[in-house]
Amino acid sequence: MSTAAYAPSRAEARVRLLVPWLLLAVLAVLPAAGLTPNLIRLLFITFVWVTTSLGWNLLGGFAGQVSFGFAVFYGLGAYTAALMIDRGVNPYISFVAAGIVPAIASVLIGLPTFRLRGPYFAIATIGVSEATRVIMNNLSITGGASGFRIMEKGPFRQVDHYYTALGIAAIAVTVSLLIVNSKFGMALRAIKQDEDAAADLGVNPFAYKLAIHAVAAGLTGIAGGVFARYAAFINPPGVFAFQTSIYILLMPVIGGIGTVWGAVLGGLVFGIVEEQLVANFPQIHLLLYGGLLILIILLEPDGLAGLLGKIYRRVRRSRRADGNTHSGSREADEVLRRAGGG
Amino acid sequence: MIAGALEPSKGRIHSRGKDVTGHRSFSLVKCGIARTHQVVRPFRAMTVLENVQLAVHFGRKSITRTAAARDHAREVMARVGIDRQADTLAANISLGDQKRLELARALATDPELLLCDEICGGLSPTETRSMLDLLRRIRQQGTTIMYVEHDVKAIMAVCDRVMVLNYGQKLAEGSPHEIQNDPSVIEAYLGKAGSQKKGRSRA
Repeated sequence: MSTAAYAPSRAEARVRLLVPWLLLAVLAVLPAAGLTPNLIRLLFITFVWVTTSLGWNLLGGFAGQVSFGFAVFYGLGAYTAALMIDRGVNPYISFVAAGIVPAIASVLIGLPTFRLRGPYFAIATIGVSEATRVIMNNLSITGGASGFRIMEKGPFRQVDHYYTALGIAAIAVTVSLLIVNSKFGMALRAIKQDEDAAADLGVNPFAYKLAIHAVAAGLTGIAGGVFARYAAFINPPGVFAFQTSIYILLMPVIGGIGTVWGAVLGGLVFGIVEEQLVANFPQIHLLLYGGLLILIILLEPDGLAGLLGKIYRRVRRSRRADGNTHSGSREADEVLRRAGGG
Repeated sequence: MIAGALEPSKGRIHSRGKDVTGHRSFSLVKCGIARTHQVVRPFRAMTVLENVQLAVHFGRKSITRTAAARDHAREVMARVGIDRQADTLAANISLGDQKRLELARALATDPELLLCDEICGGLSPTETRSMLDLLRRIRQQGTTIMYVEHDVKAIMAVCDRVMVLNYGQKLAEGSPHEIQNDPSVIEAYLGKAGSQKKGRSRA
């Protein structure tokens, strides 16, 4: 029964360290390689989605608190950045504010809602999200339901937006990796599995949930801000839509809930596929998402990352079997799957 | 109530002169009070080492550095006898080892008072003997143990002071010898019609 945990070989560990940097380098030189503006736009929006996906994954994936209300943070970030940029504030300072305002909002939302558990918490977040949308629809300072047009001084350079979005996605990955491997991350994993047992070992679940909610909201808000600057027009039925919350939740589920690279993968796939779905099936694209969600949960609850991990392990095992060495055990596989963050 | 799961309707709870009434379990851990669960509650998707490491991180000493926390966790696991299972997922170890893991996690928080809830429940006679030996060693190392159990033999084997409860009322209190000869305890334990038995003992 006793088995050693999965220990990657040195070469494998090196590859694991190298791949993210390679990916970042490729994405960084892509605009110079002569991408069309339409492709740059697609990648830009994909990076924004990846950031929100990672944000949601911190709370939903690591801490196990399923929220349907992330549109609140996305929208608040978008409006904070929009209002500031419109008044001539440096966009990058505006993005910082676009992270702080939703983080504060997340604490205010979390104080009552984290007293609820499981589905009750999830339902409460829907209520908060809808209430925020209705308020924003009627708030005159932001233009109400008519939306808000951002007038930014200076020329529009698409590549700047691209790099900003790539930068925040990279920050979101870094933050997620730092958290997953820390004492904080361990507490979140414990809370996800058994909140009361975690409390019996000294973890304050309420405080940790509030803290990770704030980090998640901050990242989502920055993503909203970056999107708002690019779009130059935002309105409550867009950024505060329930649909936005669903998108944000769907990505980590597609990619692999609770793992950093799963959330990235989900964001990448969703960002690219979403556009095609909306374009080709405008009436039923939400139905397709619903169907996809059910299929994933039924067939591969660990998402694309889980599926890829399975394929990788199978190939590895068959290679090892060829070399007549002992193959990895189920426990080791589980450890590997769980360590998807690394 | 002592573990922070319930709030008392009256009365106060003091620990080393400090009023801890109504404290939540995570703050009681910082005061040196830890508990184990009758029905084991390991973090099943974590390894045994990670389970104990978490308790070291958030226990009374609050060790933040991963390497130091892991070293300390390994020491505790060796004390309890689950060090060979360190890298196994908690879901994949036997019930006996999961009971030991419960104890290891509680010990890893560095408690002064350890609350054990039927720690031998579901164990084989051999496992029970070894668990009781372990409890004795923990006591000898200076940790006070409050042990809730209805296995009279187990109570008599390890306890210095025993309190017997019947329907929530205290029936008797004293040394194991006094309790064994207490007529009210004998009557309750012989199972007079409609009575239930529940031993609460303190080592």
